[in-house]
Amino acid sequence: MLEKKFKTRLKIAKSKLKKDYMSENDKRSSFMGSAFKIGTDLVAAVGVGTIIGFILDSWFDTKPWLIIIFFFLGAVAGILNVIRTANRMQKED
Amino acid sequence: MASNPMQQFSVHKIGPEIKVAGIDLSFTNASLFMVISASAILLFLFLGTKEKKIIPDKIQLIAEMFYSFVAKMISDTAGSKAKPYFPFIFSLFMFVLFCNMFGMLPYSFTVTSHIIVTMLMAVFILIAVTIIGFLKHGFGYLKLFVPSGVPVILLPLITVIEVISYLSRPLSLSVRLFANMMAGHTMLKVFGGFVVSLGILGGWLPLGFSVALTGLEVLVAFLQAYVFAILTCIYLNDALNLHH
Repeated sequence: MLEKKFKTRLKIAKSKLKKDYMSENDKRSSFMGSAFKIGTDLVAAVGVGTIIGFILDSWFDTKPWLIIIFFFLGAVAGILNVIRTANRMQKED
Repeated sequence: MASNPMQQFSVHKIGPEIKVAGIDLSFTNASLFMVISASAILLFLFLGTKEKKIIPDKIQLIAEMFYSFVAKMISDTAGSKAKPYFPFIFSLFMFVLFCNMFGMLPYSFTVTSHIIVTMLMAVFILIAVTIIGFLKHGFGYLKLFVPSGVPVILLPLITVIEVISYLSRPLSLSVRLFANMMAGHTMLKVFGGFVVSLGILGGWLPLGFSVALTGLEVLVAFLQAYVFAILTCIYLNDALNLHH
């Protein structure tokens, strides 16, 4: 009796696995993760660029030129980050 | 009753003040919740792996689920070469997840809502990944900063941009976790304050929002732990398999 019950339950569980229910769910959460990533990546690169510019400026006494240059380089790096993540998302699709 | 919504993030000392070589090492509520999370993980995994049954009971099932979840995440994003780093990523994921989830309990303290905690983890990951990259590829790891097929004139500019992009990883990683946790908990507290100040007549609407936001926060707590772990895997993948 118990044996039979277990076997039917195993069969149900196996058929559920075949439907690949988990992978669909996984995909959705991984896309949501990438969406969270894009937002902060864009800002973080600008921040890091500005910080590097600020440090180099105080080293070489060239205020405010390097901070301006590195701000824009940071913005470029941020956009590059976003493009890379978007490309990766498209490949996974 | 109008309490400050930021008060929940204040760190205060528990017990005596401990000073070692001029550095304050006192036990705080943040350390208390880190200890609670770590011991909860240990207890949970100990109970989950105590009896290795063929038909798992509930706690064993959950422990196995976490294991296969992280194992699948690593093999999907970083490939089979990243297998040796499973213990590190698993501990990282579990620690962030449990800290976030313990933060959801009323009157508790959210460790991950402090940028110093998340920044420490992210900088540790950056340094570890850089060391792994140099150990695996030698100075060839620097090729990561020099993408192929770029005109020579643009090369210095591109290299600087790549370096900034590489260094922005820990900031992005830490700010994401910290900002999500802090913003969510502040929002919960603000809506809680609305319930009190609007009283029995108008308080029902923010109360409903509070319930909905709590659900959202549980989702965010899980998702941020997941994102933290999966990005560690992606960075590890860059270090192990160079293909830029």
